Amino acid sequence: MSLAELVPDPATLTAHLAQAGYLAGPGLAAALFCAVRLPQPLLLEGEAGVGKTQAAKSLAAVLDTPLIRLQCFEGIDAAEALYEWNYPRQLLGIRVAEARGAALDEASLFGPDYLIRRPLLAALEHPGPRPAVLLIDEVDRADEEFEAFLFELLAESTVTIPEIGTLAAITPPVVVLTSNRTRDLHDALKRRCLYHWIDYPPLDQAIAIVRARVPAAGAELTAQVAGAVGRLRGLDVQKPPGVAEAIDWVHAATLLGLDHLDEAAVDATLGSVLKYREDHDVARAQGLAWVAQG
Amino acid sequence: MADLAATTAAFGQLLHAAGVPVTPAACARFAQAVVLAAPTTLDELAWLGRTTLLTDRAQREVFDRVFDQVFRGLVDVADFRGQSSTPPPPASLPAGDRSPADPARDGEQTAAPQASDAAGASTDAAPEDDEPAVLAALSRDERLATTPFAACTPEELALIAALVERLPLVPPLRRVRRRRRDPRGSALDLRATLRASHRTAGDPVHRTYRRSTTRARRVVLLADVSGSMEPYARVYLHLARGAVRALGSEAFVFATRLTRLTRLLGEPTPDAAYARVAEAAPDWSGGTRIGDAVQTFVDDYGRRGMARGAVVVIVSDGWETGDPAVLGRAMAQLSRLAFHVIWVNPRKAARGYEPLVAGMGAALPYVDTFVSGHSLRALEEVLAAIASAAGDPAPPAVRGALAAPAARPATDVA
Repeated sequence: MSLAELVPDPATLTAHLAQAGYLAGPGLAAALFCAVRLPQPLLLEGEAGVGKTQAAKSLAAVLDTPLIRLQCFEGIDAAEALYEWNYPRQLLGIRVAEARGAALDEASLFGPDYLIRRPLLAALEHPGPRPAVLLIDEVDRADEEFEAFLFELLAESTVTIPEIGTLAAITPPVVVLTSNRTRDLHDALKRRCLYHWIDYPPLDQAIAIVRARVPAAGAELTAQVAGAVGRLRGLDVQKPPGVAEAIDWVHAATLLGLDHLDEAAVDATLGSVLKYREDHDVARAQGLAWVAQG
Repeated sequence: MADLAATTAAFGQLLHAAGVPVTPAACARFAQAVVLAAPTTLDELAWLGRTTLLTDRAQREVFDRVFDQVFRGLVDVADFRGQSSTPPPPASLPAGDRSPADPARDGEQTAAPQASDAAGASTDAAPEDDEPAVLAALSRDERLATTPFAACTPEELALIAALVERLPLVPPLRRVRRRRRDPRGSALDLRATLRASHRTAGDPVHRTYRRSTTRARRVVLLADVSGSMEPYARVYLHLARGAVRALGSEAFVFATRLTRLTRLLGEPTPDAAYARVAEAAPDWSGGTRIGDAVQTFVDDYGRRGMARGAVVVIVSDGWETGDPAVLGRAMAQLSRLAFHVIWVNPRKAARGYEPLVAGMGAALPYVDTFVSGHSLRALEEVLAAIASAAGDPAPPAVRGALAAPAARPATDVA
């Protein structure tokens, strides 16, 4: 099935994503649709724990192609992101050839066997028929030099390795970049990408998401946790809990054998939803019973 | 299809006029997306527009307004009441209506931006060799250098402002993880060494080294622009502009609300920059809610990473009309995030000043360096404080608890 048949419009994509276990709002569905069909890279921003990385994973599941993930950090450079020669193997190759007395020509030393493919190159080399999903995670952690290096790749989908030549992507990957907004990304990078900000989901969608991820949990527990997370977000906490924290909370409660939330249950499991000491104090000051039941 | 192309291009133009930078390439993308997705409702069309035309969440409000006008024919009457906080709809008002200052205030406030505009225009138009003479004259003029800004005439303020914009802000350096090839380095660059060893039959005869590079720490300026800080705010705005353009620092102003000025101050000509600032920060008078402003900064920007490891400079007299406890909490969070917190309070220069005002008292325990910054000389003190900023040995709570706090070595990276 070609891409156009698999993803004819955002509504169909939403349905496929739901089957894969990811509940996307209309805006995110439109953004993913454009990223796949135009095609253009997509920049996803949002608070921690709203499902940016999970969106890319689910998209890969829908397209039935591999998810190739590049985790960015400060100081990442082309060698760690694109490719590297397997120098130890090359040296061994030389020594073995010497020991055998055989001739070893340069071309075989720089052949595909000796090339370590890092995520960006692996994404380019995916043969198709459908494009792989390249997830460049937390691109705001990388520095400006790396962003400059990314422009070229995003624009042309080609890479030049001096010893081999220029490699063009057979099926250009669907590129999803995520950012936590720890710094502003360069305008030139942003303009090359589509953009979507993922908000916290409304209550009913939050309940549906948690049910999809933790099917073993009871309906009452799930609904209570979703409501409690919403209430905690309204308090003056340093790190408002997101969807990921709600899922963790339900996991923890299910593991402890709880089927509904009360003050004691919240007390026992508060660490899975609030991660700062000050936030715990704020929640307790407000009253754990209120957190549990509203 | 001609209709679609024309419509998306025109929509992009309207968005651009309303303040959202939209390129023709983005409009083309929008048109393409519409063809592919064939939206049946206006909401779907809006989402396609948001994802292809916008680059930031903050642009959504403007987009929604323009979209409603164009596609739903809705116009909000409030936009025409001259509230300068919202940019006008595409049928825009003449610029003169959107004056930031309340006309009832006395002429000093409106005179100062005109003076600075004139200074900006004249110093930019004047030949370059005039400037060193002006700067030299200013620094020799002891009286002018030590007069508090509040006591300067508008002409003197204009001169000082032009000078201040060119003062060198030098933040402290920090080590960065990115390593650079450098013969003086201590770490072996394994890849390059092995590659070079191919030439010598696999023996690493030529070795290359790497060392860590250093980069300047970020400087964040938060300036109080309420009525009581009037003359100082102007000068610090110029300092902020110089810092933003030269160093890529971040600049915010606050009175009742926090406004981010970094993008606006980056305009090439001074008049354009200050005009945009005047539009964007309408609360130049009125009470001061320092605690709320600092808390907003920490929540929306600081915690995300703008304040991490940065030198944060807060310029305010500490007269807080809100609850001082809010300021105390916000400063506690900020001091944990930032590398060094400098508080500039022009009142400190007054003889016998003690930080008795509730806001100042709440914030002081979390301030690393407390300076006055009320005149040119004092401003140099502020710059010196920024240049020599060092990380704290221990957080305030621990500092109090320990009898002799352990001192971290000065080269430690925060």
